[in-house]
Amino acid sequence: MCFRCAELNRRSLLIGGGVAAASLSTGVAQARIRPADMRPLIGPGFRPTDRDEIGLWQQMDRVEEEVSGSNILIKDPQLIRYLQNLIGEVGGPAAKDMRIYLARIPEFNAVMFPSGFSVIFTGLLLRMRNEAQLAGVIAHESGHFLRRHMIRMWRDMRMKSDLLSIGAMVAGVAGGAAGVNTGDITQLAQLGTLLSLFKYNRTMEAEADAMGARLLAEKNYPAIEMANTWEQLIGEADASARHRRKRRDRGRSLFATHPSPESRMIDLKISAAEVTVPGRTYDSRRARYLQAISPIRQMILDDQVKLNDPGASQYLIETLARDGWNGLLRFYEAEIWRLRNRQGDAQRAAQGYAIAVAYPDAPPDAWRWHGLSLIKAGRQAEGRVALSRYLRMQPNAADAPFIRQMIS
Amino acid sequence: MTRTPKLLLAALALAVAGCSSTGGGGIGSEYYSLVRVRSIHVGDGSMAVTAPRPWNRTRTSIFSFEDVRQVEDWTLNGPLLDNISFITGLRNNRQIIYQRRTEDRQVPRFRSDMSAPEITAMLETFFRTRAGSIEFRTLSLKPRLFLGANGFQFDFEHLDSDELWRRGRAVGAVIDGRLYLILFDAARSHYYANSIGDFEAIVASARRRR
Repeated sequence: MCFRCAELNRRSLLIGGGVAAASLSTGVAQARIRPADMRPLIGPGFRPTDRDEIGLWQQMDRVEEEVSGSNILIKDPQLIRYLQNLIGEVGGPAAKDMRIYLARIPEFNAVMFPSGFSVIFTGLLLRMRNEAQLAGVIAHESGHFLRRHMIRMWRDMRMKSDLLSIGAMVAGVAGGAAGVNTGDITQLAQLGTLLSLFKYNRTMEAEADAMGARLLAEKNYPAIEMANTWEQLIGEADASARHRRKRRDRGRSLFATHPSPESRMIDLKISAAEVTVPGRTYDSRRARYLQAISPIRQMILDDQVKLNDPGASQYLIETLARDGWNGLLRFYEAEIWRLRNRQGDAQRAAQGYAIAVAYPDAPPDAWRWHGLSLIKAGRQAEGRVALSRYLRMQPNAADAPFIRQMIS
Repeated sequence: MTRTPKLLLAALALAVAGCSSTGGGGIGSEYYSLVRVRSIHVGDGSMAVTAPRPWNRTRTSIFSFEDVRQVEDWTLNGPLLDNISFITGLRNNRQIIYQRRTEDRQVPRFRSDMSAPEITAMLETFFRTRAGSIEFRTLSLKPRLFLGANGFQFDFEHLDSDELWRRGRAVGAVIDGRLYLILFDAARSHYYANSIGDFEAIVASARRRR
């Protein structure tokens, strides 16, 4: 299905009665699918003509209505336009027919629905180092649509029980049952359930990867960035697990439903080499990407770091900092240590805040925590100066009354 | 602190199921006990409060292996709609909820030298990791006396994964290195306004047992 659907497995199992899991056990590794063999199966303005597909699309229209009304969507018109343009860029023949929504969920995921609308999670935007990586995910999702995976799965019977639950959910039945605050961020009440319903088999995932690599290269993006994305995801999962002294969790991660991430990454590297034309110039368009996500970059960093998953967050920050450190990244690096809260972390965080505020783009919160750390370390006078700076930068801060009392 | 929302919900679901199949007892009768309008010791017994009207104490005994003795939860209309949590004398290096060492996302441990901003950050991480909050906003943090000590009042609101906005207020203080805190959290629409008065009365009534 989507790039990262297995996180949502438990909800799917709850709703779908476990039937969906059957599609996962396709067994042994298979040969790589070549990008050259991946031709789109639909053209511009595609509308279904078969009765079963028409019915599926009708259901999906109701799902899209549900999704588009969710209050966890980010509505920033400029950012949405950027994403929409991107799907227009790498969406192949169906580029103009697809819609995109951005959900504020700090997880790596993107989902393509059968009728051509896609939901991207903010956690995905955080993890992308450049536009090519994001375009790669979107091209992969477009690949599912262009290769008509939804209806192929539907006709394979694997999705039917799940889709029955969509009907029930849209009618509000399962929605009520799922509308509980389970405390698991990936089990979003209705949206999360919707996102968890589609699972593709390994062949389809491999097809979408190959199709995606081709679409990417056609638009002069370096297709190798799709493999790099996987490398980053593997690194993050390993770092998170290592920090908690355990093995990478195979049961509840993107690694459960798809081909093994390592083999997928290797296949993508070979595919990238195949679609790359010697002498042609490819551009990852990093600057444009950073510009586009700049209005929400601090927010999505904040959403990740405050989950206090130090291994994953540290890996992420270091990955983003490969393109250069700045005040924002330094501040959040220190935040990771403060929240980790192990022996010596308070001092480590204090040093981190001190480094962050040396950058001209340090956010006001860096000054806030720098000041609080100094005061905690007994350096009252310096702490007051830093906190005063924070209040000058943010005179209407929500905690201003408390901070003012501290420095008075 | 609603330590394990999942378990609470499981309990609620069981209660509902039990109710419909047996037809008796009322929702949650086995999982909640009545809090009467009189001085009640909460948490580990080191704090006493008086509610202005009857509330329901969430029973924890059936999940006792996950108990944090210093934490107790009350509700008026059910845990999805309103909650008051009591943290009573939590010691250095202890947690406000039970969590496994191997969980990826963890609520930080309480440290005796934590300042109010650090305590509120700990609460925010609780909401983000354990209560499904997608968005969390600090509305205000200001000084406030609590149990006769210099403490703080923390006002916040959060959008949760069930697409509902909730709003809350926590009043707390660190006394002799231990955390004392009362936290109110309720659906922003109606339920917050409905019970914030109760919360304030409870906070005003709070006494520490010496």
